[in-house]
Amino acid sequence: MIVVAALVLGSFSAALIRIWRGPSGADRMMGAQLFGSSGAATVLVLAAMLEDWSLIDVALVFASLAAVTVVAFVERTERASMPQ
Amino acid sequence: MEGVREALAVGVMVLGALFFVAGSVGMLRFPDVYTRLHALTKADNLGMGLLVFGLSLQAPGWQLVLKLVLIWIFVMIAGAISCHLVAREAYRQGVKPEQGGDL
Amino acid sequence: MIVFDVVLMVTLWVLAVGAVSQADLFKSVVLFVTMGVVVAVAWARLGAADLAMVEVAVGAGITGALFLNTLGHLEQRPGERGEGEDTSHL
Repeated sequence: MIVVAALVLGSFSAALIRIWRGPSGADRMMGAQLFGSSGAATVLVLAAMLEDWSLIDVALVFASLAAVTVVAFVERTERASMPQ
Repeated sequence: MEGVREALAVGVMVLGALFFVAGSVGMLRFPDVYTRLHALTKADNLGMGLLVFGLSLQAPGWQLVLKLVLIWIFVMIAGAISCHLVAREAYRQGVKPEQGGDL
Repeated sequence: MIVFDVVLMVTLWVLAVGAVSQADLFKSVVLFVTMGVVVAVAWARLGAADLAMVEVAVGAGITGALFLNTLGHLEQRPGERGEGEDTSHL
């Protein structure tokens, strides 16, 4: 179980590097998305490790709000580049 | 029987975490936006699915299993939507796919 | 478990310092959103499930979307609105 947590945290830091270096905005957004899903995975593993199953609700909120920021990002660039 | 279930759960969860790591490595190593998106979404869906499966084997009640499956479905929907949107946006902004050597 | 906590704490510091010290506003917003996610994981680690839920919904979801919206309005310069395509940011 601790191995699973360590691997998912490794995924966290990889996403951090991609956000930091990412040449374009799309890369940064992608990093944020990986952060969201690996955050949900971390919370799930924590729920099993701490035997506190109410943490599952947190992961549910993580999963259902994952797309909101991406949609906001796309809507921003779309409107800015639209010929009015 | 309990021991078998426990071992199966941990094995499946380690496999799911390996998928996450594979997705992260792909996101760091692949050459352009589109291939990175590909690596990220596949790893998300499958890694999350295996993690949810492993946790379902350990969950104490069927309500929790229902919630876990719901999480997986939400993650897949969000992954599909954002992958499509980000790829379309990158395409519209003129990000060119990397040209392979021998294709 | 102590390794988990230390990694979480270091990530939090890196993200927080990074978010306030960027020249590029968009990068700063993305770092802020990811910091919200990490703060939520930290709350979950401390056993505060309800706080973590609120942090995800407000800190990472709504505030991030509002910041990105604001950035979109800032990039659309007031003088050029409605005068053809604004390509200065591309």
